[in-house]
Amino acid sequence: MRRVAVSGLGVVSPLGNSAADCFATARAGRSGVHLLEIPFAGRLNAPLAATARFDASDHFDATRVRMLDRFSLFALFAANQALADAQGALAGLDLDRAGVFVGTGMGGTLTMDAGYQTLYAEASDRIKPFTVLMGMHNAAAAWIGIEHGLRGPNLTYSTACSSSAVAIGEAWLRVASGQLELALAGGAEAPLSNGSLKAWEALHTLATVDAETPSASCRPFSKNRSGMVLGEGAAMLVIEPLERALARGAVIHGEILGCGLSNDASHITRPSVAGQAAAMRAALRAAAIDAQAVDAINAHGTGTQANDSAETAAIRAVFGEHAERIAVSATKALHGHLLGAAGALECLLSLQAMRHGVALPTMHLQQPDPECDLDYVPGAVREGVAVRTMLSNSFAFGGSNAVLVLRAADAPRLQ
Amino acid sequence: MNTTFERLSAILMKDYVLSADRLTLDAPLEGLGIDSLGTVELLWNIEDEFKVKLPAEPVQLLTVGDVVRYVDDLVASQGRPAAPAGVVVPPGLRAT
Repeated sequence: MRRVAVSGLGVVSPLGNSAADCFATARAGRSGVHLLEIPFAGRLNAPLAATARFDASDHFDATRVRMLDRFSLFALFAANQALADAQGALAGLDLDRAGVFVGTGMGGTLTMDAGYQTLYAEASDRIKPFTVLMGMHNAAAAWIGIEHGLRGPNLTYSTACSSSAVAIGEAWLRVASGQLELALAGGAEAPLSNGSLKAWEALHTLATVDAETPSASCRPFSKNRSGMVLGEGAAMLVIEPLERALARGAVIHGEILGCGLSNDASHITRPSVAGQAAAMRAALRAAAIDAQAVDAINAHGTGTQANDSAETAAIRAVFGEHAERIAVSATKALHGHLLGAAGALECLLSLQAMRHGVALPTMHLQQPDPECDLDYVPGAVREGVAVRTMLSNSFAFGGSNAVLVLRAADAPRLQ
Repeated sequence: MNTTFERLSAILMKDYVLSADRLTLDAPLEGLGIDSLGTVELLWNIEDEFKVKLPAEPVQLLTVGDVVRYVDDLVASQGRPAAPAGVVVPPGLRAT
């Protein structure tokens, strides 16, 4: 297997639309969660979301804007940014050996919601002609391939909240094995349609509004946590053999050492400690490292009662006493839950955290929970720490778990 | 704005950011950046603009003039005015 580098980062997120901005906001512990100011907010029990400040017409021509759902626009913007960051990664490359791997949980749900609005609420039969093309889950990956002429595998993964971690893991495998010379991998999600907001509300998984500080409504690992907050955005990575990136003189953001997948095979929503632990063990095996090598974990950390206690137990099960020495960060408190894009965004933040030698904070952890008793880096970033190896955990409804193993680049630490 | 051609041009100029001098009756749609998918969208917008119902039968439209003729025929067969009330369309501007 070849060593695999991440040589380009691109992102649209509630914390900013560049890797640097997104990381700086997370490092400062500033939340992107806010009260929704849309007419439909009045029909929601908890009108919260973490939205991305992104006007597609600032970046794309009118034809693109009309033909792409918001999730595809996010993905294409992030992919373009990642390729620009990777400094000539496509030059001299056989594009048959360049693939695209995108995770999304809900695909073009905004487009589908608009179609239903036309069909049922307005009782009109005039559905927009691009509805199928905008709504299909593989649209984001397809447009990235078209934009850059990437003719290798063009794949879309939909495993709910682990989708983009799976996509990155699959891309890693193909680059590491020599099948591909480059992959654009990540995820995109634009789930804030009226129908989707109501559907998530109906499942009783969303956070209640913190009346004093709405931006602090998502409180992972805190005893008074009340659920997750939906977020939107995309994160894309350029993944290539380390040797090729170094030969080009590219900036190496970090390495992907491996990916572990598991399936709970037990309950459609309730997380399984055994399933989550199995994914972490599989990831360590894939990366061929000892558990003691792990310095930090970006937790799945959704802020639901069920996930956070199960994830804590799973980390303890895998790492034993070493769990006490691992910095566990739940950045969803800040950027919300990007569902199918969450794993990619958290992977990007983890790579940035390692490059800068910090452990990102778990914000809004107000009340210790006896069932969540690890080092969550509560309340403020921890600076000047040697974080060389990280896990990025992503678990999902349906029971499909994915864990990425990341390593800091062999390069001087950034400030 | 009163002829079919002018009303069609307004749609094309807005959606494809085209200058008026490129829009002639014999201009190929492909040359204007309107591929088969673009034509599907254009026909959808035509339904709105001209208050016509598109037939289910497929139609081959290669030039702006083809679209103008198609719209005029639809308007004529469906018995609705092609232009807002009170506006007379000079026969010479109909691309038939």
